[in-house]
Amino acid sequence: MRKVAFAAVLVLLGGAFLPGLARDASASISLEKCTLCHGKPEFRKLLVDGQIRDLFVIGDTLAGSVHAKKVCTDCHFDVSEIPHREHPKRVTCTHCHYKGNHEGAPQSDNVLAYFDSIHGQAIARGNTKAPLCQDCHGNHRILKAKDPGSRVARVNVAETCGKCHMEIYAQFKGSIHGTALAKGIEEVPSCTGCHGEHRIYARKDPKSTVYSTHVSEQCSTCHGSIKIMGKFGIETEQVATYKESFHGVANQFGSRTVANCSSCHGVHDIRPPDDPLSMVNPKNVPKTCGKCHPGANPNFAVGKIHVDAKNKESGIIYWTATFFKWLTIGTMLALVAHIFLDMYGRTRRLRGER
Amino acid sequence: MPEDDRKDPTRDAVEKEIEAAVNEQVSGLPPERAAALREKIRLRVREEIERDLRARTVSDRREAARLAKEARKKEKHAEEGDTYLRFNRNFRFQHMVMFSSVILLIITGMPLKFPNFILSRFVINFWGGIQHSTIVHRIGAGMLIYFMVHHFLYTILTRDGRRDFVLLLPKPADAKDIVHNIRHFLGKEPDKPRFGRFSYIEKFDYWAVYWGCIIMIGSGLFLWFETDVLRFLPKYALDVAHEMHSDEAMLATLAIVIWHFYNVHFNPDRFPGTLLWWHGRMSEHEMKEEHPLELEEILARRAKESAEVTNR
Repeated sequence: MRKVAFAAVLVLLGGAFLPGLARDASASISLEKCTLCHGKPEFRKLLVDGQIRDLFVIGDTLAGSVHAKKVCTDCHFDVSEIPHREHPKRVTCTHCHYKGNHEGAPQSDNVLAYFDSIHGQAIARGNTKAPLCQDCHGNHRILKAKDPGSRVARVNVAETCGKCHMEIYAQFKGSIHGTALAKGIEEVPSCTGCHGEHRIYARKDPKSTVYSTHVSEQCSTCHGSIKIMGKFGIETEQVATYKESFHGVANQFGSRTVANCSSCHGVHDIRPPDDPLSMVNPKNVPKTCGKCHPGANPNFAVGKIHVDAKNKESGIIYWTATFFKWLTIGTMLALVAHIFLDMYGRTRRLRGER
Repeated sequence: MPEDDRKDPTRDAVEKEIEAAVNEQVSGLPPERAAALREKIRLRVREEIERDLRARTVSDRREAARLAKEARKKEKHAEEGDTYLRFNRNFRFQHMVMFSSVILLIITGMPLKFPNFILSRFVINFWGGIQHSTIVHRIGAGMLIYFMVHHFLYTILTRDGRRDFVLLLPKPADAKDIVHNIRHFLGKEPDKPRFGRFSYIEKFDYWAVYWGCIIMIGSGLFLWFETDVLRFLPKYALDVAHEMHSDEAMLATLAIVIWHFYNVHFNPDRFPGTLLWWHGRMSEHEMKEEHPLELEEILARRAKESAEVTNR
């Protein structure tokens, strides 16, 4: 009886394992087999829109990337026979990169953030042009973001975004941030510096880091920091003076129409004020202010915009503030003294003193 | 209980009357039906009587309350004397327009000066956000400008206005009064200075409002019509106006809340407040305390007038 039962268990186990083993064996199509076709340099396909898709892949393609140890079918797992009859589907990174995976693939909540973002929402709505992971991170040569060769490295990410957002990329390249980035300055923001990495939302979405009431916060993360701005000789008082101005106060109270940093300085085309193309160049100030204050004239540029009443350099504004400061202190001291003297006198009289 | 004693005789008489009427009705009926009818009539009549009594007690109570109030008034009158009209209706109306506009301006303006103060966001949201609180601020501004125009016309066109304006002009006697009053507070003078219609405190309040209105309305109009102003003036003129508007607002608010409120509402003579701004009348007692010279003038004028009437 025992032997029979043992045999039965073996048979059952074997039945359970064998098909799996067989599938594994058939599924692991070796790299050499793929490169039979894909290893030919002229292996490419003419798409319906006239574009040519290069399908040339060799054994070295993955070498050096984070997936160096992977084989083709680890990602293109829907290819199970050669030649594959059907067009392989787009690679799904979450096949491995999910929380608690056994591959040891790094995983984080970034994928969830991505699906909440404008790009993920567009994908969910069926927009085939919206980017998936591989559209930004690259397909075969994926490197860590810190690697300067990576497509999502700080120096390269603008170009990566620019593949789709071409006009904005062109504007950005000419801006002070773009030129500084080209010079290799470390602190300068690229696209992701302001828009976020995976959490990118439309600018009209209140969750966005560049929503009209969040812009000043976003700019002040760098422009409010003396440590960063000190390196480039840029003042940081603009942040405080903006927040004290009516524009800044109304913005903090949630006005979406009042001017924020980018209303005057530009968005992707921010240039230093001495640049004739800058929106805040005195020559262009009437036009810039005129967006909200119809009929603005060159007088808008006479005097400092980011004015600090506590700073002696502000001239007449400083003196006005000082005059009122001392007028208030003097008047209130006299009035409060009078009140206390009055109360003192009443107390004396209540006690019966004369 | 005295109330029951008062009611009892009425009730007894009524009971007797009912008894007689019921006896008349039930004569000739079988005894059990007679008893039922008797009970029914009794209940109905009692209900009626009680309602009547209830109504009478309510009106009695109201009457008593009214009499007590009048008695209190008389008592007070004996204590405080006649009342004198200090501010006429026109002046009271001006004051009300001004303080409602100033309250509106302060509560919609101060959050902009202190955006990080914890209540600022609440106040702004109360009006429905910054885009609406600025409209309320401009409504307040319009009211203040109206007040200013009204007061100019009042000063020029009415007899009371002209008289008050002249009386409000600072005089050397005011400086003496200040010294006198402070010496009085310190116990160096036995009596208060004897003020006329306007003491130096009230003169200060009046001219402070003048100064404040000119600064606030002037700079406020600059900020309201910024594009038109910038057609003629450079941008820093607007910054100066902004600074003035913000700083003078602080000074005016402090002066009103601390100084003016103490002098008219919160000082021990008046605490917790006066309704003078509403009825405009001052009792003889208050007049003797605060404006003895004016009271003397009024009494002298009245004596002269009545003498003229009798002589005629």
